[in-house]
Amino acid sequence: MLIWTLAKKDLRLLLRDPRAMVVLLAMPLIFIMVLGLSLGEGFGQKPDDRLRISIVDMDQGFPDPDNDDGPRLEWSKTVERDLAQTAGIRVEVIPTLAEAEELVRNSKRAAVLVFGPKFSEQVSRSSFLRGGVNPLFRDGINLEELDLRLVRDPTQLTASSIIEQVGQVTMLRVVLPWMIGRAFERIGDRLGNIMQRALQQMFPSYDLTGKTWAALTRAPERSNDGAEVTHYEPPSGSGALNRGAYRYQVLVPSYIVMFAYFLVLTVGWLFVAERRQGTLKRLRAAPLSHTEILAGKLLPCFLMSLAQGVFLLVAGKLLFGMSWGAQPWWLLPVVVTTSLSAMGLALLVASLARTEAQVAIYGTLLVLVLAGLSGCLMGDRELMPENMQRISLITPHAWALLAYKQLLANPGEPNVELIAQACGMLVVFALGFILLAWSFLRLDDHA
Amino acid sequence: MAEPLLSIHDVRKQYGETAALNGVSFDASAGELFGLLGPNGAGKTTLLSIVSCLLEASSGEVRILGRKASTRDRELRRMIGIAPQELAVYGELTARENLTFFGSLYSIPKPELAKRVDEVLAAIGLTERANDRVEHFSGGMKRRLNLGAAIIHGPKLLLLDEPTTGVDPQSRNHIFEEVRRLAGQGMCVVYTSHYIEEVQSLCTRIGIIDHGQLIACDTLPALLRQMDGVIRFRVARAPADLRQRLAAIADCRLVDRGSDPNNADPDNLELECRDVKTALMRLVAILNELNVELVSMEMTEPNLERVFLHLTGRALRD
Repeated sequence: MLIWTLAKKDLRLLLRDPRAMVVLLAMPLIFIMVLGLSLGEGFGQKPDDRLRISIVDMDQGFPDPDNDDGPRLEWSKTVERDLAQTAGIRVEVIPTLAEAEELVRNSKRAAVLVFGPKFSEQVSRSSFLRGGVNPLFRDGINLEELDLRLVRDPTQLTASSIIEQVGQVTMLRVVLPWMIGRAFERIGDRLGNIMQRALQQMFPSYDLTGKTWAALTRAPERSNDGAEVTHYEPPSGSGALNRGAYRYQVLVPSYIVMFAYFLVLTVGWLFVAERRQGTLKRLRAAPLSHTEILAGKLLPCFLMSLAQGVFLLVAGKLLFGMSWGAQPWWLLPVVVTTSLSAMGLALLVASLARTEAQVAIYGTLLVLVLAGLSGCLMGDRELMPENMQRISLITPHAWALLAYKQLLANPGEPNVELIAQACGMLVVFALGFILLAWSFLRLDDHA
Repeated sequence: MAEPLLSIHDVRKQYGETAALNGVSFDASAGELFGLLGPNGAGKTTLLSIVSCLLEASSGEVRILGRKASTRDRELRRMIGIAPQELAVYGELTARENLTFFGSLYSIPKPELAKRVDEVLAAIGLTERANDRVEHFSGGMKRRLNLGAAIIHGPKLLLLDEPTTGVDPQSRNHIFEEVRRLAGQGMCVVYTSHYIEEVQSLCTRIGIIDHGQLIACDTLPALLRQMDGVIRFRVARAPADLRQRLAAIADCRLVDRGSDPNNADPDNLELECRDVKTALMRLVAILNELNVELVSMEMTEPNLERVFLHLTGRALRD
């Protein structure tokens, strides 16, 4: 209860101190904003040398002719999956045709495959038999026949031709087994099972009833490992602040971590001011233990740090259109443990500094050196050489960044084990700093 | 004398080779206003820190209401209020918030604390500024609040460390009135200062401390009795028997300045006397009898400053 009384008082002091508010909240936002506006579009993204196949999917699906009650067939998804499973290819889904045409017009994409609304219907009706849609022609698959078209950039003929050929091969892999399988079924219907069996014996390497390429060729299904379908995000973001630009996924956590440790200044000032103005003497003269006084000072700092982390994450989302990743709840332990270690470091500095000038000079130097060493300062740890990345793990910042990177800048599922390990390391740092601070701290040295 | 509320016995505090306190002993009772007079660095603040359980003495003993003071005794601290030399209040908080905060450290129940805060605000004359931030207060108002924060929990022993440093006369008078009122209510007040006139006008007993030693401790009249008054006068032409007649005045001593080469004038005379007024009447009568013309006269009554100079060999503000 007394700890909370002390904490409430310090929270009130912090909230009324414009200096603390500027350091903890305004400065990181300004940093993120300025760097976000000035860094290039590719910042924070690894170069990817795989062939990008961009698609627009307007396919409305079609009822399964073999199963009236089953789910609608979505042939565009089958094509998408086949493409994504192909080595050296990554699939990018562009949300609208207008955006795709704009990208092609601006030579940002060489070609885009556009699945029309009737794509599934046309594929489902594809057949060697009379009455069906025949998509085969001299060059492979007649895309127009299937309500599929390729929007091309006439200035990038080679690239668009490669994309077209990849599309042709994939379409053959998808449509041909379907057509063979359907035709083979009809042979059974019309000429009987004997004919079917005879044909099956004639072509023992093929399963003529299989409607997929793997089934037809009696090959194992392709693994989904490495298959990647990404959704198109304008890399430059939108609006004056470039909302949604990928770089904020890297910049926001970097500066959340760096400025979390600026708590060193706030806590240092609180301690020094308490000594200078004599109120520490008054606190010590009250029926309080040293532990209560310390806890009463640290609790508000911890809460401020938590609030700062949450504020910057929310601001990142609202102002910069940042995504909280696939598992946003994991952000909570990362924010908490980062704040804990920042609080420990702040206590260590407060235990060593005697004047406000010392706090400002030593605190700022320490925070900037650690930020530089850990990679926070340059925004992205990936920019550091590998051995420096290893060395940087002596700082709590680096562990916090590792966890944030997993959660915010990883396109797939985050590595939860790595996040838990980082959180554990941050707790270890916090305990280490607090123990060191406890051995240096003298609340009664100015009695 | 009543049972002492505060009893200090042979307290010493050593910082390495330096003795900050060297065997200080005195008692103070409930309702007593005890003044501790000494120059800066004499050991006043160190003594108050030990009494307020902020610091352990190297040796000796401090007892408050019969209980030995110790830095580990949290309960004893409830009986003590301290107004440190610094303005130990939070500038960013209002006067009311400051008092409420310091009161809540003593676990006073909320309704009682609110009432107590109002009472203290009224007592220190800050009711109208209760909701203003302290950073906008004058130095005197901050000093009064510093006193208020020391008494918010109703201590039995109040330690005031130079409580009027840098305050205007109005605030000083306010503080004096409040301190007298508190002592009148039975609080034992220890008041340290290096302003002689403050201690002289306020305190019932005074301790003089210098270089960590309590060199005198008594009531003001008793301290003053240690010193003689002085009457310096000049006559037109001193007759031969004047010196003999003056030397015969009871409780007086004629200072022989004949040997002083700077004051060889026999018409310049000086009398040291226990009671200046009685001696003056006798002097005037003798001069009349001998028909000697008095040219000039200067009287110096004994005072605390002279007592301090006499005891320490230096002025208080040296």
